Amino acid sequence: MIQVRALKKTFTSTVKEPGLKGSLHGLFRRKTIFKDALKSIDLEIKQGEIVGLIGANGAGKTTLVKILAGIVHPTSGTATVMGFKPWERSNDYRRQMALIMGQKAQVWWDLPALDSFLLLKEIYQIDDRLYQDNIAFLAETLMIKDQLKTPVRKLSLGERMKVELMAALLHRPRVIFLDEPTIGLDISAQRAVREFMKNYQREFKPITILTSHYMEDIKELCPRIVIIKEGAFVYDGSLSNVQRMLGDNKVLSVTTDEKTFKVTVPRSELSQQTHDLFTKNNVLDLNIHDPAIEDIIESIMRNGLAPV
Amino acid sequence: MKKWRFIVAMEFRKIFAYRSDFWVTFLGQTLLQLLVARALWQNIFESQGQTELNGFTLSTMTLYYLITSVGTKILAGENVGFISREIYDGTFTRYLIYPLSFLEYKTITYLTYSLFYSMHLSLIFLLYHLLFYPDQLTLITLANLTLGTGVFLLAAFAYAMMATLVELMALWAENIWSLMVMLRFLAFFFGGSFIPLDFFPAWALEILKYTPFPYLINLPVKTIMGQMDPIQVLQGAGILLFWIGFFRAAVLLLWKKGQLNYSGAGI
Repeated sequence: MIQVRALKKTFTSTVKEPGLKGSLHGLFRRKTIFKDALKSIDLEIKQGEIVGLIGANGAGKTTLVKILAGIVHPTSGTATVMGFKPWERSNDYRRQMALIMGQKAQVWWDLPALDSFLLLKEIYQIDDRLYQDNIAFLAETLMIKDQLKTPVRKLSLGERMKVELMAALLHRPRVIFLDEPTIGLDISAQRAVREFMKNYQREFKPITILTSHYMEDIKELCPRIVIIKEGAFVYDGSLSNVQRMLGDNKVLSVTTDEKTFKVTVPRSELSQQTHDLFTKNNVLDLNIHDPAIEDIIESIMRNGLAPV
Repeated sequence: MKKWRFIVAMEFRKIFAYRSDFWVTFLGQTLLQLLVARALWQNIFESQGQTELNGFTLSTMTLYYLITSVGTKILAGENVGFISREIYDGTFTRYLIYPLSFLEYKTITYLTYSLFYSMHLSLIFLLYHLLFYPDQLTLITLANLTLGTGVFLLAAFAYAMMATLVELMALWAENIWSLMVMLRFLAFFFGGSFIPLDFFPAWALEILKYTPFPYLINLPVKTIMGQMDPIQVLQGAGILLFWIGFFRAAVLLLWKKGQLNYSGAGI
């Protein structure tokens, strides 16, 4: 179980003025700036749950993941993951946790993946039987068996991601942090990774936190989402509920003889608005549908919990 | 223990993964350094009209530089930036996630490179005899070579701790390249890599005695050349152990403070 209470993280950095004058001045004095990456966050996630963490760039998603994975220390507040304080980085915790970063390789580039796996086997002290079973299971499910003897740097992006997934899951972690796992992958590789994670979650029931900018990842994998904006949570609940909560609207996609446009109207005004549209325009095509989840979430990220 | 053995084996695999790099480092760089130093000293000897300078003949001076050229590689281990580079690009995160001690892991990988370069020593001696002095096969004894290599590895451990101390400053500073270059210059210059310490004034040697530098290069090189008696070697090794303990304590303290500052930039 993950429990987070009043968790805060403030980063400090220095800035210098642009230009030569600024650079010279910066040699002696620089301005220190403080940025609240997380502003008193509360969160609870049960074993077996998979939660999608959504937010714009710089909203605080990765900072939260970094804290829960034990990479950075919080400024204040508490967090426990299965009873461990992550930033204390006890080996007992780290043996049960995995962090997979789509943008940063963790396996050793110069070597075939199997060499990295053997090292990880020793680091995580995985017994021979479990290791063999896991290699067989993961390689087959991810369809990467034939590439495991090739140096990682020679693999394609999709193959590398699969190798990263294998490396991170070899020790069968009970907590998984997936940070942009499908970034840069082509559509079929994205689908393969999603499918794999879905099956893995069903079979082994870890706690999983997924951050992704691809709504397909979220829709496919996360029944629960947390939307984070400027370091604070603006929504924590089911994916379907966010649509229901804010989406008591209908979207009319209209094509007239002059233009194509979309208009969002309250459900109660649907018939009146449709009638008006037909009266005022020469409507060639009309499509009535629910607002797309992407639009709802984008709206929340932009405006908070205002109706779409 | 098995874990650490495995890490050493893995680092060797990484080294051998790049064949051209291996041969360029081994032959190209070492031979080039040697040829330049030899040509320089040959001129000095000729211009002075002497066959011996501060206890060195041209033959022993060539040998000194030959050992030093490999010795500096033993000392420099995984090379400049082995921690700071990873802090800046975010790869460093890996060591915080895996259930292992980051400091031990980095020290072991560093010393693996030192071990690898120390293996060059014996091959280099063959070159020395083949290229320059085929009649002096007995100049280096196996016992001195073994002892000197051991002292070199101890020196590499001390230097690894010094380098780690500077590298960890990357947890605060945006660039530590100049600090690393400075440390390297100090260690190599005052260690006797550029000019043997025998050419330094007495007062400078008296001051240097209280620093770790003379024990990093001068001590192991002279041990291999048979110019140190066992007592001097033991004393030097003891001093190196003291510096290892000192710098390791400083590294642990810095790491304890520095990890609070780590922001995981780059991921």
